[in-house]
Amino acid sequence: MPRTRETATAIQATDIHGAAFSRRGFLVTGGALIVALSVKPGSAMADTANTIDPAQPASWIEIHADNTVLIRTGKCDFGQSSIYTAYRQIVAEELDMPMSAMTTVISGDTDRTPDGGGTFGLLRQASGNMRKAAAYTREAALALAAQKFGVPRAALSIRDGVISGGGKSTTYGELVAGQDFRLTIPTEGDLNSPFGLRVSGNPPLKPVADYRIVGQPVTNPSLRPKLAGETVWVGDVKLPGMVHARTIHPATLGSTLVSAGKVDAAQFPGARVVTIANLVAVVSENEWEALQAAQQVAADTKWTAWAGLPGHDKLFDHLRKAVDWTAYPVRKGRANKGDVAAAGSGKVLQASYSLPYHKHAPIGPMVSLADVKPDGSVTLHTLSQNAQHLRRMIAKMLGSSEAQVVVRTYPGPGHFGRSNGGSAGSEDEAVLLSRELGKPVRVQWMRADDMQWSSQSPAAISDIRITLDGQGRIAAYQADHRGPPMQDDRLVGALLAGLPVIDAPSAETTYGFQSGVMNVADAWVYGTIGNVAEQGHGTPQIGQKESPLAVGLRDHSMRTPVQFQQNFPREVAISEAAALAGADPLQFRLDHVDSPRFKAILNRLRDEASWVTRPSPAPGAKSRGSKVVKGQGVSIMLRDNGYWACAAHIAVTPATGEVKVERLTIVADPGVVVNPLQLRRQIQAGSLMGVSQALHEEVSFDKGAITSTDWASYPILTIGEMPEVKVVIAGDSTDGVYGQGSESANALASPAIAAAFFDATGKPARSIPLRPDHVKRMLAG
Amino acid sequence: MAVDANATSAQGEFTVTTLKVNGSERTITASIDTPLLYVLRNELNVMGVKFGCGLAQCGACSVLLDGEEVRSCITPVAAAEGKDVTTVDGLPARWAQQKGLSPEQAADKLHPVQEAWVAEQVPQCGICQFGMMIKVTELLEKNPSPSDGDIKEALTNSGPSPHLCRCASYAAILEGAHRAARIMAGKDA
Repeated sequence: MPRTRETATAIQATDIHGAAFSRRGFLVTGGALIVALSVKPGSAMADTANTIDPAQPASWIEIHADNTVLIRTGKCDFGQSSIYTAYRQIVAEELDMPMSAMTTVISGDTDRTPDGGGTFGLLRQASGNMRKAAAYTREAALALAAQKFGVPRAALSIRDGVISGGGKSTTYGELVAGQDFRLTIPTEGDLNSPFGLRVSGNPPLKPVADYRIVGQPVTNPSLRPKLAGETVWVGDVKLPGMVHARTIHPATLGSTLVSAGKVDAAQFPGARVVTIANLVAVVSENEWEALQAAQQVAADTKWTAWAGLPGHDKLFDHLRKAVDWTAYPVRKGRANKGDVAAAGSGKVLQASYSLPYHKHAPIGPMVSLADVKPDGSVTLHTLSQNAQHLRRMIAKMLGSSEAQVVVRTYPGPGHFGRSNGGSAGSEDEAVLLSRELGKPVRVQWMRADDMQWSSQSPAAISDIRITLDGQGRIAAYQADHRGPPMQDDRLVGALLAGLPVIDAPSAETTYGFQSGVMNVADAWVYGTIGNVAEQGHGTPQIGQKESPLAVGLRDHSMRTPVQFQQNFPREVAISEAAALAGADPLQFRLDHVDSPRFKAILNRLRDEASWVTRPSPAPGAKSRGSKVVKGQGVSIMLRDNGYWACAAHIAVTPATGEVKVERLTIVADPGVVVNPLQLRRQIQAGSLMGVSQALHEEVSFDKGAITSTDWASYPILTIGEMPEVKVVIAGDSTDGVYGQGSESANALASPAIAAAFFDATGKPARSIPLRPDHVKRMLAG
Repeated sequence: MAVDANATSAQGEFTVTTLKVNGSERTITASIDTPLLYVLRNELNVMGVKFGCGLAQCGACSVLLDGEEVRSCITPVAAAEGKDVTTVDGLPARWAQQKGLSPEQAADKLHPVQEAWVAEQVPQCGICQFGMMIKVTELLEKNPSPSDGDIKEALTNSGPSPHLCRCASYAAILEGAHRAARIMAGKDA
């Protein structure tokens, strides 16, 4: 590290838009390149505590004397690429340096990133931190240059990293070389909270109209090493002296341990059983032995019986009849207005909609490695969307302090929000087993562990009533959305081990994302409707209170949490209401939205999708016979300042119940488009994952356990079923707001496909998946 | 676990096996029923093969065995004895050998399938792409200019299960496979 020499002539602290800027001294360096605008904390790489100081811009953005830039973020990459593409673009843009100067991104490690918080809303909220940190840094550099050139700040300009004014020019690197500047920027929040820190204040941001780097199709530099096989994924980490572990999870989500099986030492001489309350595992230095021995021990391990779940075939009966929806406070929609009971004299659509539980279902099951030292220090190697909050939960579980825990993150299988509160599974088990054994432990969940012991995106039911007026316009919209909580970040291994965890979801808790109260989250888009009454009704997690382990069906956000569950019924109902009005469903939407941005994308969608303007059902719609019938459907969504519209074209064979999605067309207006190349890839993939949910996905469970255990019992879309996907990006950057990526595309597919099903068959599809058995039932009804 | 090559146990004999992995002769000691996946990753440190399901249902662990795609998670190491094993790590050398490239020509050069995957920015999270690239390599070695249908068929019906991508990067995979075919034919950089 560079050493500093305090000088008596240190300049007075200067105010830079609320940030304090001073020169502490000159660096006496041994040729080190790491010379930043502020001094870099000396022990940033230490293993035991986070010494990154978020008040220092150099903790976020380090500018080196060679004009290269290092960026640090607590967020991770899960395939969005944003931290490697959009973040570098945003920082380069604010600094006005070339993209090629953004050489390094350090992400997601608790001991060397400044911000914390969950990896979500990367462009919505989190990019604001990078943007502001860069803006403060640029302003400090300009203050230095103004002083150096003897000209006012206003006389300076920056282009490609060169600061010019008064006939002189310099670079960032030249300004910082050999200097030790300290710029202290304002931040707010709590590093280890689920929400992390925010850079506050209002440094001047570059006007969107001047952007030259944001908006470019920058490629993702992390892909080549990944594809060459050079990247170390979390599953590739090897710790000296480690053992491989397989967890033997309870027989049901409420079973407690009666007796752990014993390893057949003749067969598996290197394996042993570890038991911590209801947490049972088998370890061996040899992974194959650990795996086989775990299967042998599992067969010999006895658990109590438990039957606290309704079973998936009785789920919706249970939600309708057995759940007390008055136990949790009701939340009203922000767009509620007028009097829905008094409005309208025309036809009425009254219908109920339901969505099953969905699995995040990463292609690889979770894997984590932990090394707990005799002094209690913990290093955890994993994949997490919220490493700082995971760190807090691990410390809580161990009854130690956050300073004792370091979480290092690596690339791994994408799991779409499952760990945005910290844990996706296996992390805590690795820590507990390492503490027990006194050596590093690698816990690899198997497919069934990941399906049965992870959280899931919650099921939901909605009752919707739409009243038309005499002209066939919507006079009143009423919706009651019901469902279990959206998020349970408790560590499941800690629950099995009987150790401390954060509050369970409930109506009372306000911790993190653990509130069980259901908000109305689907942003209202039909602004011309005069009477709106939306309500959200919550309930405890299914089976949690009944489970002696306090586990049950744990819920978790996935991609567009709550909004998916509320947008699907709304959009399907709007298409049904259009049919009731004898109107084309796309035109019906145009007639009810008030935003010009929605009007623009709906008109664009009509052209791009070759939409045929006519009411549903289609003239040839049939619900019987072996002749293929075709239909079109449309859906829209407003999310995070992004305006989205989707058309689906599908084919249905009524006799077999087979549904084939032939085409998807998506028009997206996410405001400022940071990277059209990466956005296009995210939209394509996100929408196809939506097709998977629409056609295939439903978590099955019996009275005790999840019975979707593998890809045969939880099938997902294959490339053979892929429809043609057309993506149109039509960003309106007038407001200067960054919208979001693929998750909106993910939510749009299901309601558009369900509406197309209605168009093709004349029978409404008020639930998914449109699997042959369900479809035949819908068509028979 | 210390492994004695001469020891036996009820789960299967520990034997010395010689494999040819990515062009190199490698000798390992393992029980003969150990899936190739664990031998490659844990004994040989060949990490361009990933654990997905352990059930031959997803394709993340695919390798080429004498040019044929197999699922290494269920293929016993004994079945690979004496055969050529190629993982994604070995694709560049496989291409260099097939094209007779000199070491200088081959330096820093990826296999066309890998190059295409980079150029098309195919992956989202990327964990499935190790198997996807192996399957597409197998396809293109037999069918240098496949149709959309050929690519979909190969990735859906030609093995023990479809090759699954949870991120659903399928549109990009299709574009990647076509670009790889063009690169292999010398039509695209």
